[in-house]
Amino acid sequence: MAATTESVKADAAEAPLLNKRNLTLGMLLYLVFYSWVRWYEGVYGWSAGLDSFAPEFETYWMNFLYIELVLEVVVSATLWGYIWKTRDRKVMSITPREELRRHFTHWTWLVCYGWAIYWGASYFTEQDGTWHQTIVRDTDFTPSHIIEFYLSYPIYIITGVSAFLYAKTRLPTYNEGLHLMYLVAVIGPFMILPNVGLNEWGHTFWFMEELFVAPLHYGFVFFGWAALAIMGVVNTEVDAIGKLLKKDLA
Amino acid sequence: MSASQSAVRSRAEAVQVSRTFDWMILFTLFTAVLGGYHIHYMLTGGDWDFWSDWKDRRLWVTVAPIVSITFPAAVQACLWWRYRLPVGATISVLALLLGEWINRYMNFWGWTYFPINICFPSNLVPGAIVLDVVLMLGGSMTLTAVVGGMAYGLLFYPGNWPIIAPLHVPVEYNGMMMTLADLQGYHYVRTGTPEYIRMVEKGTLRTFGKDVAPVSAFFSAFVCIIIYFLWHFFGRWFAKTDFISDDAS
Repeated sequence: MAATTESVKADAAEAPLLNKRNLTLGMLLYLVFYSWVRWYEGVYGWSAGLDSFAPEFETYWMNFLYIELVLEVVVSATLWGYIWKTRDRKVMSITPREELRRHFTHWTWLVCYGWAIYWGASYFTEQDGTWHQTIVRDTDFTPSHIIEFYLSYPIYIITGVSAFLYAKTRLPTYNEGLHLMYLVAVIGPFMILPNVGLNEWGHTFWFMEELFVAPLHYGFVFFGWAALAIMGVVNTEVDAIGKLLKKDLA
Repeated sequence: MSASQSAVRSRAEAVQVSRTFDWMILFTLFTAVLGGYHIHYMLTGGDWDFWSDWKDRRLWVTVAPIVSITFPAAVQACLWWRYRLPVGATISVLALLLGEWINRYMNFWGWTYFPINICFPSNLVPGAIVLDVVLMLGGSMTLTAVVGGMAYGLLFYPGNWPIIAPLHVPVEYNGMMMTLADLQGYHYVRTGTPEYIRMVEKGTLRTFGKDVAPVSAFFSAFVCIIIYFLWHFFGRWFAKTDFISDDAS
C-alpha cells in the first residue's frame, strides 16, 4: 500500500504525458493571429491596398511586408537554433515513458503544422484567388500576396521544420537516419515559397488576367502534393507508439 | 526500467493514450490533406469550381472529377491498405469542402462581396462515398478504380444537378439568350470574365445537342479510372516509412 501511495505521489509530481496547455495555446496562437490578420486585410486591403504607387500602400502594406520578413528570420533562427542547441545527446537511453511524452510533444508540433498548412495552403491561397479576380494587380506585392506568400507560407515552414528538428533531436525513432517522407512533408511545402519566384516572373511577362488553372501555377500544385507525405510520418509514428504501448505493463 | 517495459502504467492509460493520439493524428491528417488537396484542386480546376458561370455542361463536368479523384485515391491507399479504414475518399472530400466553404464565406463573400450563389463549391460527396463503399465491399484496388472511379465521374453532374439546375434556366438579356449563371457573371465582372479566358461550352461537342453533359460525364469517368490507378500508387509511395542515411561522410 505504501508503495502504491509513493507511486501515486510520483505520478502527481511528474509532468503530464500531454501538455494540453501548450497544445491549446499553440492552436490559439495561430487562430488569434490570423483572425487579426484577416481583420487587417478587410480594413486596409480596400482603403490602402488598391494602388501600389499610393503613399498609403507603402505605409500599410510595404511596411507590413518589411516587418514580417524581419520577424520571420528572427523567429526561425531563434526557434530552430534553440531546438538544435538543446538537443538530447543521449537520445537512445531515455525511458519508454519519457519517449512517449516526447511523442506527445512531437504531435503537438505536428498538430500545429497541420493547422498552419490549413491557413497557408487553403485559407490564404484561395483568398488570393478572389482578390485577383476583383483587383487587377499592379505589383508582385499585393495585399493578398504579402499575407499569403510572405507570411502564411513562412509560418508553416517555420512550424514544419521545428517539428522535424524536434523529432530528429529528441526521438529514438528518428535516430537511424533521415525519414524520407518527413523530409518530403516539410521540404515539399517549403518549395512552394521559392516557386513564388517562377509565379511572379511569369505574371510579370505573360498576363494580367487571373486564370487560376493556368499552367504557370502548376509548380504550386506539384509541391502541394508533398502534403500527402504526412501519411508516411503517421505510419512511422503509429508503429513507434504502438511498440511503446504494447510492451509489458510495469 | 527494462527495455521491454511499457510506457504506460495500466491498460486504462494505454487506451486513453491511444485515443488521444487518434484525435491528434486525425486532426493533422485532415488539415494537411485539406491544404494539399485544396491547393491542387483550386489550381487545376478552380475556375470551374469558383464561379457559377463557369459551371457549364461540358468542361466543368469533365475537369472537376478528373482532378478531384486524385487525393481520395491516394488517401485510400494509406487508410485502407494499412488500417482497413474505408473512409479515405470521404475524409479527403470533406476536408476539401470544409476549406472551400470557409473560404467562400469568409473571403469570396466576406472580403470581395461576391454573393454565395455565384461562388459556391462543387459537391463531390456522392462520388467519394461510392468510392469508399466500393473499396469496403470489394476490397480490391482494381475494382475500386474501375467501378468506383467510373461512378465518381458519372455521379458528379447528378450530384450537383439540384444545386446548378436553377442557374441553368435560360433567360433573355439585351436580345441575347444565356443562362441565369451567365447573367450573374455579367453583373459581377471579374478579371477572368472575358470570353477568351472563360473556357465554357467551347468546341463542337454541342453537335451532341442535349447530350453534352452525359457525354462529358462518361469521358470524365473513363479518365477518372486511369487517374485513380495512378494516384493509388502515389498514395502508396507517400505512405512509405523508409529512412535514408544522414551520414554525410
